[in-house]
Amino acid sequence: MPLKTLAEIEDALRRADLAPLPSLDLVILRNVVLEPIAPYLRYLAYGMGHNARVHFGEFDQVFQEAVGGRREFLNEETTGVLLFTALDVLSWNLSRNFSALSASDVRREVDQIAAFIDAVLAGLRRQTPAMILWHSFELPLPPALGILDGQRADGQTAVVAQLNERLRSALAGAGSAYLVDMNACRARVGAASFRDARYWHIGRAPYSREALREIAQQDFTFLRALKGKQKKCLVLDCDDVLWGGIVGEDGLGGIKLGRTYPGSAYYELQQEIVSLHHRGVILAICSKNNEADVWEVFRNHPDMLLREEHIAAARINWRDKATNLRELAAELNLGLDSFLFVDDSEVECELVRSVLPEVEVLHLPRDSAVEHRDRLAAAGWFDTLTLSEEDRLRASSYKAETARTKLRGDSPDLETYFRSLEMVVQIRPADRLSIPRLAQLTQKTNQFNMTTRRYSDEQITRLAAGGSSDVLGLRLSDRFGDAGLVGVGILRYEGADAIIDTFLLSCRVLGRGVEDAFLVQCLRRAKARGARTAVAEFIKTAKNQIAADFYPTRGFRPVDSGAVQRLELSLDSFSGSEPAFFKRIETFEDLTHTKE
Amino acid sequence: MADSTTTRPRVVRAVSQIMGVAEQQVTDTSSADSLDTWDSLRHMNLMLALEEEFGIKFSDEQIMTMSSVGRIVAGIDELLR
Repeated sequence: MPLKTLAEIEDALRRADLAPLPSLDLVILRNVVLEPIAPYLRYLAYGMGHNARVHFGEFDQVFQEAVGGRREFLNEETTGVLLFTALDVLSWNLSRNFSALSASDVRREVDQIAAFIDAVLAGLRRQTPAMILWHSFELPLPPALGILDGQRADGQTAVVAQLNERLRSALAGAGSAYLVDMNACRARVGAASFRDARYWHIGRAPYSREALREIAQQDFTFLRALKGKQKKCLVLDCDDVLWGGIVGEDGLGGIKLGRTYPGSAYYELQQEIVSLHHRGVILAICSKNNEADVWEVFRNHPDMLLREEHIAAARINWRDKATNLRELAAELNLGLDSFLFVDDSEVECELVRSVLPEVEVLHLPRDSAVEHRDRLAAAGWFDTLTLSEEDRLRASSYKAETARTKLRGDSPDLETYFRSLEMVVQIRPADRLSIPRLAQLTQKTNQFNMTTRRYSDEQITRLAAGGSSDVLGLRLSDRFGDAGLVGVGILRYEGADAIIDTFLLSCRVLGRGVEDAFLVQCLRRAKARGARTAVAEFIKTAKNQIAADFYPTRGFRPVDSGAVQRLELSLDSFSGSEPAFFKRIETFEDLTHTKE
Repeated sequence: MADSTTTRPRVVRAVSQIMGVAEQQVTDTSSADSLDTWDSLRHMNLMLALEEEFGIKFSDEQIMTMSSVGRIVAGIDELLR
């Protein structure tokens, strides 16, 4: 939805029927006047189908509101808390009196601000689980020491950067709390237009209209991701989008696509599209063309960066695009509201806008091809709050699964099929990078999950750091692609017992012997740590029937059949081995058992 | 060329949209004193909206003194002259 002028926005909001829409409660804690941001926030919320209620905390009462509480708007229902702590107000010394400060003065101010940040976050977390968006400190322009400032590790610029780093790390520990980069917002708007000295002096309102609009849009990139309203699938037209010209008329040699002008505009757009693919965005083609002509370009054009394997689904025919988009949504099992549709034709764009209003439309007019890359990249449509390795791999997994199915059909028996997959398993203890994904797996996996115990990042971190437990993650890849982290095993050691607290695998990798390879590795680890008995736990749920006979069929003996069933296996005589069809199994001790 | 005959309707529309009153209710004498919704924060929104509408920039002094529709129209015409 294009942003209108402030007056038009106010008018549109007054006319809109907002009452039936689900509410989105935003609380703004600030030490400056920010009220004019409210219409932008409310309008952006309206654009994603929500009725935003924007509450402002009292002027310069961030700390008091955060710790003291205003239960009427800071509570379980709050969607987002937006914090604006302009340094001009927070610390006159650091912002305006910097050159008069000694090193120890600076240190004291920085420590005070860090303590303020911690106290505010702790206070907010006592009151609300809402998403926290804290707007970073603006780097000084010009800095206190002029050209010298940038040369010094203790310059004002470096000190403010350090404050932002403290803020970032405090937010990382607060859960669902994010840094909104004001310096990036300022760069996009242009520093000269970001602040408005008139309103700063008249009413302690530092930001210009353009700045408020940009900040609101940036905040909504986070809120859209929070509400799962970000786009997941990019649907591309071909002629005059992926390349210049019409392949059906100009032919493979006649279309514009290459490293130099004018083909470079299309080449760079394709670079951006491929980069989105690597972030997990699903790519689809929707083009009015002869199908064979399009695939010929994909296969045979030397400067075609986008390959067939990047494309999860395609509709290349002469039917109307709305019908094709509906079919693509059904085939990919995605909602139309997760589509971004890109076309050079105003007519096609209008048709999709009117027939399928839930689809986001990006019109890339033919005469501005050089700007297309920037326009696709700028909007943050596909931004997510986390980027797990698995997100990166998801887009390609569609293609890989098709290839696996074909290979299976071609194999004489299962063992030959498994061997031909060339599976590589990697088992590693949890570390800082893998913890979010391991926690996500415990939260999302329902079927092959022995105990369905859900763990937060924080809990996994504690289990991994504790001396009496192991948290193991399993990665799987094969000749068709990398599935990423798909398994979690948690072992707790009590005396001579190794208790298998959690053992799970993502169901898309089941039935390939991975579960056996993983179990053997876990037991071997337990034995190496001196355990004499493995005690597996099993908690029956409505969804984990497929896991019910796993332990019994692997030699475990039931000993306790309460709500938490316990099964035992003696490790003294254990010498299990993994299935022989894996290409390689790498353990956390970097012991590599190469099969074959 | 801009003059008050083209400026006034655009100002009236902006005042109506920002203050949430019907255009017919907005006259030259409409001001912070006569309209309930015209408080200091809405005044700021109105100034921002008018700057956007006319592509101009008021001085800080104008922002403080343009407290009625008549004064706003005159102030804008001054800038556009």
